Amino acid sequence: MRYFLVFLSVIILMVSPFFGQIDISISNILDTTKMDYQIFWDIRLPRTLLAFFVGAILALSGLVFQTIFRNPMSSPFTLGVASGATLFTAIAIVLGLSSFVSFFAFLGSLATIIVLFIIASRFHSSQTSSLLLVGIALSFFYSASLMVLFFISNLQESYEIVRFTMGSLDIVGFKDTYIVILAGIFILFMVKYYQNSIKLLLVSNQFAYLKGCNVKQINYILLISVSIVVGICVSITGPIGFVGLIVPHIVKTITQKSAHKLIVPIFFYGGVFLVLCDLVARNLGTTSDIPIGVVTSFLGAPFFIYLIIKRKKQ
Amino acid sequence: MLKCENYSSGILHDISFELKNKNLIILGSNGAGKTTLAKVLSGIIPSSSVFIEEKNPSDIYGDKRTELINYIPPKLEIYDDFMSVEEFLEINKLYSHKDIDEVLELLNISYTKNKKCKNLSSGEAQLLLLSSAILHNAKYTILDEPTSNLDPQKIKNSFHILQDKTILQNKIVITHNLNLAYKLGYDILYIKDGKIAFYESSEQFFSDKNLQLFFNDSVKKCDDNIVVSL
Repeated sequence: MRYFLVFLSVIILMVSPFFGQIDISISNILDTTKMDYQIFWDIRLPRTLLAFFVGAILALSGLVFQTIFRNPMSSPFTLGVASGATLFTAIAIVLGLSSFVSFFAFLGSLATIIVLFIIASRFHSSQTSSLLLVGIALSFFYSASLMVLFFISNLQESYEIVRFTMGSLDIVGFKDTYIVILAGIFILFMVKYYQNSIKLLLVSNQFAYLKGCNVKQINYILLISVSIVVGICVSITGPIGFVGLIVPHIVKTITQKSAHKLIVPIFFYGGVFLVLCDLVARNLGTTSDIPIGVVTSFLGAPFFIYLIIKRKKQ
Repeated sequence: MLKCENYSSGILHDISFELKNKNLIILGSNGAGKTTLAKVLSGIIPSSSVFIEEKNPSDIYGDKRTELINYIPPKLEIYDDFMSVEEFLEINKLYSHKDIDEVLELLNISYTKNKKCKNLSSGEAQLLLLSSAILHNAKYTILDEPTSNLDPQKIKNSFHILQDKTILQNKIVITHNLNLAYKLGYDILYIKDGKIAFYESSEQFFSDKNLQLFFNDSVKKCDDNIVVSL
């Protein structure tokens, strides 16, 4: 089963750049005179890599959130972090500061994480659902603020914001992809580096403390790292929901292993999941691509529910 | 030496005592503040009143703290659904010379080694906590109600482990099992309404006069055992 999944994933990653509105022939991708060459190297390959690393980052961020906030429903989306990044990006657009969107997105996610963390530290450890409610409240607050922005912005800006909030992997060239690849390597390195502490935190905060961990410091470092990379992702692709919430659960349920052993698998399958969703989005035969968030939810939700029901039966 | 100087908080009032490389039993009725005291001593609740070997546990990190103190809660709480018994014990192995198999053998729970912690019964989980304490082997180990979920045979086995001077270093045992406290024979610290009401030897505490004073008619000595009289 495991090898089959790895094999299937590699196939998905390999074939993804070749299919889309224009199918590419493998023999043409090294021939600089052909159109296929340009489509492959300037559009499809950077897009596939972008999808892979954004998916990987969101999935790993979900794992970090679920561990630190001790709630299986936590992810950058359910707790409002991505909405924060989205709102701040929209603010940048309205202020005419489009070249600073990444910075604004980072500010938005960081601000949200700080608010969440301050609130979480006031709760008793058993009150994890309260934090989720705070996250939902924040999301509503942000979407109301976004409405205000629509109201005061002109038509061009509104259009830009709407397109942005739909989430999209449309990019040309490698510039954005490089940034996301760096962000992906950074977060993977950080989580791997703190693997032992994460193992302790997976028992409980009190336990990690008794084993010598500086719990607060590690939580801060990991949450700030996550807010940086989620901010970067959101500023480039817009909000893409669901990946961070479900991929960690899917991988855990299938492998039945403790989460500290699943850091690399969750990173990898998060990437594969988004590449697969993007592949589907590009090949449904519509005139323009379906927003990626629609596909992640359509594919992810039923499978996720299936897994939960299956797990309950066991 | 473990020292607590004038600690006061919501529940506890003016707690001061010293423990010089000895074992201790903490007794007291429900809600008296025993667990709070344990958390203060281990630094989980930060304070400036506790010193273990001259160091305040809430100010130090890493080995410096783990070698001094460990607190074992009454119930095993693990967030991760799939952590196995072996994985859990691996992260607890710090200063003990015993290996995981030896400790599991000692507590007669070798069969749980490859199980998931979430699937253990409450008794097995409690023995797993005791195993983790043995593998950690801090200078002072606080065991919060280590026998509350055990059947009589397991209580007896745990009693022998607590009695064995070679298995754990200094033990601070919080319990409601008076017979266990009596038979262990450690000094008794009795907490009443957040204050230290008694801190003397076991012999003095279990005199008929004091039993009457602290427990009224609810316990009595019978065949050199303390039993709850119903």
